Amino acid sequence: MDIDVECTDGFGSESYAKLFEDIMSDIGKAAHIEKARIKLDPQTPLFVFSVKLKAEPANKTIGDVANVRSEGPDSHITITDERYAPDILNQLWKAYGRASVDQQTRFDMNVRNASAADITKMVISSGEEYLKEIVGSLWRTMPEGIKNRHTFIDGPVVTVVATEEMFQPGMLEEGQKIHKAMCGDA
Amino acid sequence: MFKVMMYDGGVYRSGELYELIDDVGGVVLQKNRSAQMLSIIMSIPEEDVKTVEALCIDIGGVVKPVPLAGTEIAVVGPTLGRHHMPHPICDIAEELRRYGAITVVMGLARGRGKATAQINLEERMIIEEYDAAVFSLGNFKECIEAKKDLFKDVRVPVVLVSGPQLEGLEGYCDAIVSGVGRKSARMRTAPERAKLDEIADRVEDVLEHKKELIEEDPLFVHPGEIKSILENYEPVDMCLRPSPLVLHLDGLRVKIPYEEHAEIIGNMEVYGRKLKDVCTITPSKINDSSILIRIKTVSEIAYDDAKKAAEKK
Repeated sequence: MDIDVECTDGFGSESYAKLFEDIMSDIGKAAHIEKARIKLDPQTPLFVFSVKLKAEPANKTIGDVANVRSEGPDSHITITDERYAPDILNQLWKAYGRASVDQQTRFDMNVRNASAADITKMVISSGEEYLKEIVGSLWRTMPEGIKNRHTFIDGPVVTVVATEEMFQPGMLEEGQKIHKAMCGDA
Repeated sequence: MFKVMMYDGGVYRSGELYELIDDVGGVVLQKNRSAQMLSIIMSIPEEDVKTVEALCIDIGGVVKPVPLAGTEIAVVGPTLGRHHMPHPICDIAEELRRYGAITVVMGLARGRGKATAQINLEERMIIEEYDAAVFSLGNFKECIEAKKDLFKDVRVPVVLVSGPQLEGLEGYCDAIVSGVGRKSARMRTAPERAKLDEIADRVEDVLEHKKELIEEDPLFVHPGEIKSILENYEPVDMCLRPSPLVLHLDGLRVKIPYEEHAEIIGNMEVYGRKLKDVCTITPSKINDSSILIRIKTVSEIAYDDAKKAAEKK
C-alpha cells in the first residue's frame, strides 16, 4: 500500500501513516487498498482521507470466487478465493439447509439437489456493504472529535473530508481536489 | 525503616509467607489472587528483607521492587472510544501496576475534539480522589495545547503523556512525557517499553514530591494502621471486590457503601480517638460504592483540639 501523508505537524505525519496502516491491517482492508492520500491540518481543523481501491466495489457472486460444476443432481464447488469461504457456506446453508451442504475440504463442497447455474449467480458480498466497511475504516482512522464528515465516492476512489464544527467555504473544494487527483490516477 | 516490595508467584506455600510477614512485624498492603497466581505487596522492616526474599524465592516466586505501592492512580483518556482504548491507555495503566500502584482507567464524556473538548466538575472531582492522574492525549501539538483546560484545574499531580514535544504547558501539569500519542497496537517494542518506564518514573517523581510535602506536616496516623483496623471489620472482610481496601498517600479507599457503614467506621478508635475526629470520611463521587478516608495532619488535629477547648471555655 502506497501512503502519502501531508501534515503541518511533524509527529502527526509520521504517526498517522503508521496508524492508518495498522488500522487497515487490523480490520483486513489493507490488501484492498492500492493507494492512500491523507491530508491532516489540525490547526484549521481539516482532515482529508482518500483511498484508491484495487477493484471497484461491486456485488460478488459465488461464480466470481469459485468454480461450480454439475455432478448429476448435485453441484460441486471449488473455492478459488478462500477469503469468501465463510460467506459462500453461509449463503448455501441459507438457501439449501445445512443437511444438503457437505464441506469436504477447505476448498471443496458438495450441494445436494442444487443447480450449478443457480449457485453461480448467488450474491455473497454486496458492493454497498463493502463500501460501508471502507468508509467505516476511514472514520476509525480519523481523530475522534472530527465528527462533521462528507464522503465522495467515484468508482474505486473513496474520499472522506472532515472537520470538527461547520464546514467553512473551501473545505469541501479542498477535499474534492484531492479526490479528483486520486481519480485521475485511476 | 520499612521497605515495600512485591511477591509475584503462585499460591503454593503462601501461608508460610503470611506467617513470616507477621513474625517480622511487616504488613500486607495489598494482595491479589487470580486463579493459582498470587501477588502480595508488603511492607517489611529493612533488617528482615533478606529473610523474606529468601522465602519468596524458596516457594517459587519472584521479588520485585514496587516504588508506587500504596498509591492509587487514574489514567485518563479523552474518551473510552476505540480511538483511544485500549492502547496506549491500558498499556500505561498496566505499567503503573507493575510498579505497584492500583490503577483505574477513565474516559471523559466529552474529551475529544480540539474546540469541543471539555471536562465537567464531577469528572474533575472523581480524578481528584486519586493520588495522581496520568492524562494521555493525542498526536497533534495544536490539539493538546487547546486541551490544557482538561487538566489545568485538577488538584492532584498530573503527568501529561502526549505524542509531540510540547512547550509552554509546564505550568499546567507536573510532568510531561512525549513520544506516545495515539496508538492502535500494544506497546511492546523496546523503545515503547522504555517510554512506558519513563512514564512510570515521572509518576514516581511527582508522587515522591507529594510524599515530601506530606512529611512536612505528617499525618496523624499512617494509612496502613487504619487499614489494619478496617481489615477486621466484617463487611470489608466479606467484600468480594478486588482489593477492598486501597491505600492512598494521605488516606484510603474502602470499597463498601457509604450510607450503611460510614457511621460505624467513624466511631472506630485509633490511638484513643474516634476515626471521624482524625479523618475526613466522605462518599466516593463515582457512586455510593466506596468510602474515602482522608487522614488529617498533626497540625489539623492540633487546630481542632484548640478550637474545641476554646468552645468549652
